[in-house]
Amino acid sequence: MSLFKARDWWSTIVGDDEQFDQGCMCVGNLDNHSSGTDKIVVGSYHGYLRIYNPRPVKTENGNEGFRPEDVLCETSLNAPILQVECGRFVSSAEGMYLAVLHPRKLSVYNLLSTSGAVEHGSHYQLKLVYEHKLQRTAFNFCSGSFGGVKGRDFLCIQSMDGTVSVFEQESFAFSRFLPNALLPGPICYVPRTDSFVTVSSSRCLESYKYQVLAVATDTRTKEESQMLKSGKRVAAEWELGLCDQALDIHVTSFNNSQEAIYVLGERNVYMVSEVGKLLMMKKFDFNPSCFLPYASVDDGQINCIIATHTKTLLIYQNITLTWAAQLDMVPVALCVGKFQDSEESQLKGVIVSLDEMGHLQCSYLGTDPAMFTAASSEVRELDYTELDAEMRQLQKAIKEQQSKSAPIVPTQAAEDEIQIIVSVPPDLDDVSVATNLEIEDEEKVPSLTVKISLKARSHLTDVKVHVHAPAPLASNESLISFASLEPNHPGETQVSFFMCHGFLPSQLKAHITATYQSSSGAPRVVTSQIKLPLKLVIKAVLPIKTATYKITVDTNKPPVNLNDIFPELLGESAGGPGNALGFCVYGLDSVITMLASKTSQRYRLQSDDFASMWPLLSDLLLRLKSYFRVGQTSSDFKITYEGPLPLQEYFEVLDKHFECRLNADKYSHLLEERAAQFRAIQRRLLTRFKDKTPAPLANLDTLLDGTYRQILALADAMEENRKAQQRAAAALSCATHTLNHLIQLWKDLSAEEFSILESSLITSVDDNGDQGWEEIVDASITHLLRTCMAKSAKDQTVNPSPLNLLKDTTKLKKHIALLCDRLGKGAKLVVEGYKPVTSPTTTEPSKPIRPSMPASHSKSEQQKKYKPIPTTLNTKKHQEASSFDEPTIPTGSRFGEKKSPSAQGPIGGGRSGSDYLKRGGSTGDAVNSVPDLDDLGAPEVADQPLVNGVDELVYGL
Amino acid sequence: MDPLFLAYSYFRRRKYEQCVELCSQLLDKNPYDQAAWSLKTRALTEQVYIDEVDVDEEGIAELIMDDNSIAQVARPGTSLKVPGTGQGAPSQGVRPMSQSGRPLTGFVRPGTQSTRPGTMEQAIRTPRTAHTARPVTSASGRYVRLGTASMLSSPDGPFINLARLNMPKYSARPNLAKSLFEYIFHHENDVRNALDLASGATEACQFQDWWWKVQLGKCYYRLGMYRDAEKQFKSALKQQDMVDTYLYLCKVYVRLDQPLTAVEVYKQGLQRFIGEASLLTGIARVYEGMNDMSNTVQFYKDVLHQDNMSIEAIACIGTHYFYTDQPEIALKFYRRLLQMGVYNTELFNNLGLCCFYAQQYDMTLTCFERALSLASDDNMSDVWYNIGHVALGIGDLTLAYQSFRLALASNNDHAEAYNNLGVLEMKKGRLEMSRAFFQAAFNLAPHMYEPHYNFASMSDKVGDLQSSFNAARRASDAFSDHMDSKQLLSSLRKHFAML
Repeated sequence: MSLFKARDWWSTIVGDDEQFDQGCMCVGNLDNHSSGTDKIVVGSYHGYLRIYNPRPVKTENGNEGFRPEDVLCETSLNAPILQVECGRFVSSAEGMYLAVLHPRKLSVYNLLSTSGAVEHGSHYQLKLVYEHKLQRTAFNFCSGSFGGVKGRDFLCIQSMDGTVSVFEQESFAFSRFLPNALLPGPICYVPRTDSFVTVSSSRCLESYKYQVLAVATDTRTKEESQMLKSGKRVAAEWELGLCDQALDIHVTSFNNSQEAIYVLGERNVYMVSEVGKLLMMKKFDFNPSCFLPYASVDDGQINCIIATHTKTLLIYQNITLTWAAQLDMVPVALCVGKFQDSEESQLKGVIVSLDEMGHLQCSYLGTDPAMFTAASSEVRELDYTELDAEMRQLQKAIKEQQSKSAPIVPTQAAEDEIQIIVSVPPDLDDVSVATNLEIEDEEKVPSLTVKISLKARSHLTDVKVHVHAPAPLASNESLISFASLEPNHPGETQVSFFMCHGFLPSQLKAHITATYQSSSGAPRVVTSQIKLPLKLVIKAVLPIKTATYKITVDTNKPPVNLNDIFPELLGESAGGPGNALGFCVYGLDSVITMLASKTSQRYRLQSDDFASMWPLLSDLLLRLKSYFRVGQTSSDFKITYEGPLPLQEYFEVLDKHFECRLNADKYSHLLEERAAQFRAIQRRLLTRFKDKTPAPLANLDTLLDGTYRQILALADAMEENRKAQQRAAAALSCATHTLNHLIQLWKDLSAEEFSILESSLITSVDDNGDQGWEEIVDASITHLLRTCMAKSAKDQTVNPSPLNLLKDTTKLKKHIALLCDRLGKGAKLVVEGYKPVTSPTTTEPSKPIRPSMPASHSKSEQQKKYKPIPTTLNTKKHQEASSFDEPTIPTGSRFGEKKSPSAQGPIGGGRSGSDYLKRGGSTGDAVNSVPDLDDLGAPEVADQPLVNGVDELVYGL
Repeated sequence: MDPLFLAYSYFRRRKYEQCVELCSQLLDKNPYDQAAWSLKTRALTEQVYIDEVDVDEEGIAELIMDDNSIAQVARPGTSLKVPGTGQGAPSQGVRPMSQSGRPLTGFVRPGTQSTRPGTMEQAIRTPRTAHTARPVTSASGRYVRLGTASMLSSPDGPFINLARLNMPKYSARPNLAKSLFEYIFHHENDVRNALDLASGATEACQFQDWWWKVQLGKCYYRLGMYRDAEKQFKSALKQQDMVDTYLYLCKVYVRLDQPLTAVEVYKQGLQRFIGEASLLTGIARVYEGMNDMSNTVQFYKDVLHQDNMSIEAIACIGTHYFYTDQPEIALKFYRRLLQMGVYNTELFNNLGLCCFYAQQYDMTLTCFERALSLASDDNMSDVWYNIGHVALGIGDLTLAYQSFRLALASNNDHAEAYNNLGVLEMKKGRLEMSRAFFQAAFNLAPHMYEPHYNFASMSDKVGDLQSSFNAARRASDAFSDHMDSKQLLSSLRKHFAML
């Protein structure tokens, strides 16, 4: 990240597919030219040595860059070049020579120029002056006037195993082991103290006196000495521990600042005095790649270039960042040189950088902006009339959507691209495929295999089909994927349904949903509902004469032989007279007996379990209706229910479910307490264990163990209870279905009224959310009682109470009884503006839009007098950038804050006291003194015993 | 060419995979090659290295089982848990608070989003979405992931079998031990073994190497033994001043909830290392946590003197100016970020808002357009939310309404959008809807006072005084200096007394 980029002065690509690293480049006046300009020497790991003399020609568009003449020399040395260095390496001459380090060889070359030999100037030639063979693999070398010799540069080569060999120009001096060497570090010579500094593997900056190294040497021949395996242990003059491993070392000696050792670590740069005292350090939040202290401009301040792996060049003055420039590469080597700019002038301070791929660049700092500019967003010719029209159209569509009060109901799109065709075979599977059953039955639980075929209109990919069968039913597959569908090849699959859990099925329906992306890319859903046959869940048994619960329905047609309408469920009574059949749900014990009166037009269901009659009741009603409709155009067939509603029985089922819920609540409270206790003990134990002086545990471990077992037991109990609750919920759902249908038959409700009834006394008992069935039903029935079924205007206050778990069911029972009573007295279930929808709104209590509104269609006259209330708008928002180096949004604006006090609105102060009181008196009272519904009329039905009205029924047993 | 030399070169160029490969080949040939072994540990460590100073996520266990705090109820201005009313900070009404009760920062770092929930239950119930400040499940959320990731990358199993490592042998060899320690600590995440090694090594060098003391401190810190860590760091500082040691020591103090001591130590460090940016940044972060904005900005400015490329400092100062009603100056800071090459949704969103409040309307929409085009699922909702604000500012309520709905479409938990939708619905007179919106808002974000207050004020109007009272109380709990809530409460109290 930087504002500017380094300006390119001259650049070229060195070699082709060659590797370079630190040390592969040096800058110096190698041809000893009189002008003193520097040449760039680049050696690659592939053994090529190239020498450049950048002389860019100024043109109108800036500098021209690389020209072939800039290469002074290019030669292959047949061995990898690890390091190149310029210096006075030859004893007999004063000039600059080039030292090249190969893994097993050190060579010193002289660059000879023959002027005028070729057209464009001088001809250059590399000439070997001398070379040293090395016995060990070299790592790097440093040069300097060791021992204080003036005007001559000696060489010190460090090998991979940490041996240093010193060569006094053409002659070998000595070799020494550095102690504790593992991997060699960068090495540098400090002229002032006549010592070498290096960073060892133990992350210590170590300084060794040249004298000490030299003296400790045994006098041997060059070969012997190089082969040495052991030697005297030399002691470091001083050591300084660093935080991290060093990448590079430089020793600075500039005129107006003290001599210092600069060490570049992996995450820090250190400046150390030559006696091993840490002078400064700077921590980086990036990874440096190489560095170069190059000058001291101000007194006591050393300037240093640091290149980073984020392709930035940073110039620090001591530790203050003074300049940052972007580069095109990650440099591995940096130099600063003086080059010929034009005929007469020289350019000083050119930054020469080389990256590992061989991009060689000479650059200078300038205020060129960084190269990244945001891509301009697409500019189109705007046709405002067209835009306006489109805007209007979209606004209209949005408004239409919004005006629909119901939460967005997807309109059944005509262009469903998939058609689900489900064929339900009339017969059950010959061999049941039911698996993972939770019920035990002496007979094998049957299964039904359904064929699903998907017809696509166009080519679709990745179609997923979900099969959902409400518990206790289950399917052997729940998710089927089709990788692709072709229009003429419908995708086909088979799914088996079977009864899995041991409780009552409240509905015999299964949903098959296909999700796919339409050809236009929009996600689409197609749903299909199938009805499963009764015989999947019910088996025929012998009828039983007596039963606790009975339901009798009347018709206006002569009775039918039950054998005719339940042909598939006759069982052993197949040959019977057809007026009594017995059924049993798989996995349950209670037998349901169905009786048809021979004389009167009545049918009776009886069972020991009230709820279990529902599957048969619903089926009986359907089958009777379809039986009598056959062959008749207008159906005058009618089923009625005479007797009083079986509320008492219903309430028993209800109480059972509620008890389970109370238990669940109790268990979770207990569990919470135990968990808190567990954590408290844990915390105490933790402090005990942390204590330096061990203290007795005081039986806390026993307590922890005990609590843990309690938690496990509670969790088991909860699980048990959950299963019981599931059974109770199924029973309640069935019972509610029964009750709803009986009410319908009893009062002959229209479809609309029945739909309102069903959406108040809801049949889906879902205990997963925060709100349970009881409170939802209580709220919606209370709402009905206060709105369309209210006796007087006094009752008509709508003030929804929060949906909390009821304390007991007395009130709920009273309300249900009251509802039945009012219906019995002729009240109509009519709600203004209510249209029956397929899914009752109250079944979605967890919609975020309406968290606690059981019925959103209420309308209060009172609302009209309210003016819009000015309020403070929210002014906040989170910031949530997830990475560390991103700034976040100062999010949020400050709409409606102090600048505009009028927006706050007169909340308390602007209103007169009397006004406040008056309003509080009218509505506030209403809150506190809502007439309790229980006072409105005593339920008469509830306590009456069920009248048995079909005594004259003749049993055919 | 010598393979070890080449591997070392790859290591220097941060090409760790090639380096590891070469080292593995060398080790196959000669399993006792210490140099290759050491280089491989270093390369493997560097691959997963995260500066320990920056790792600062507190897990639930640490938050709840914190037995290090000195006072449960600290005096204001001395604790990070109770940020208190700092000096120079705009009120909560102007600069929003995060869930932990600290003002929104301009730069997300680890730790800025962590909460300090009161109870375990509260901590657990916080919804598990990316948008919340839910603490990570355990201290090792990130560490565990790093550990497993590193296992995956080496199909032959771990490079070093820690269980069979002879710790005393290695701890006596300083040139191997340091890399090995970092490998165990960063790559394997086995703090206990790392601690073993470090304690052996520090003994082996007669407690003369400060480096080992710092590593011991790091291990103790990871293990939650802050006092021991403090001791080690202090001892290390006695031997050798290092920036890192100061940073670690301050981290301990921050974790011990002693921000003032932390600042003190940072300042000691600054006396030794004059102008060190990381120390200055540390002070600024502590002050920001304490809600002391004038000092925060002062120190961030000092950071910029030393390091004018510090994105964190620029972003935080920009945010400060934005919330102190100087959007023009904030705009300058954000533009600087843009010039430096930061190019993301957040920046364009901020630029858009600054432009809007600085009345440079022509740029506002362009900025938001770009923000939207760059937005990911995470921050799309925020951009729409802010567009909604701009729409409110120009009075286009329809656009505002639609923007807030779009904000909800991309993030269903955007409590602020719910709140503002509630207000818009209320303006339209649809009380039921607005009531539902407010309820949704304060259920999602109980720390915001606005939905509570709005709900209270609306309930008051319709006469549901009980709900109004409760909601107003919640509002003043969330923002104790909110005048309107206070007025509402007092008038309700008067009214109840009269009844």
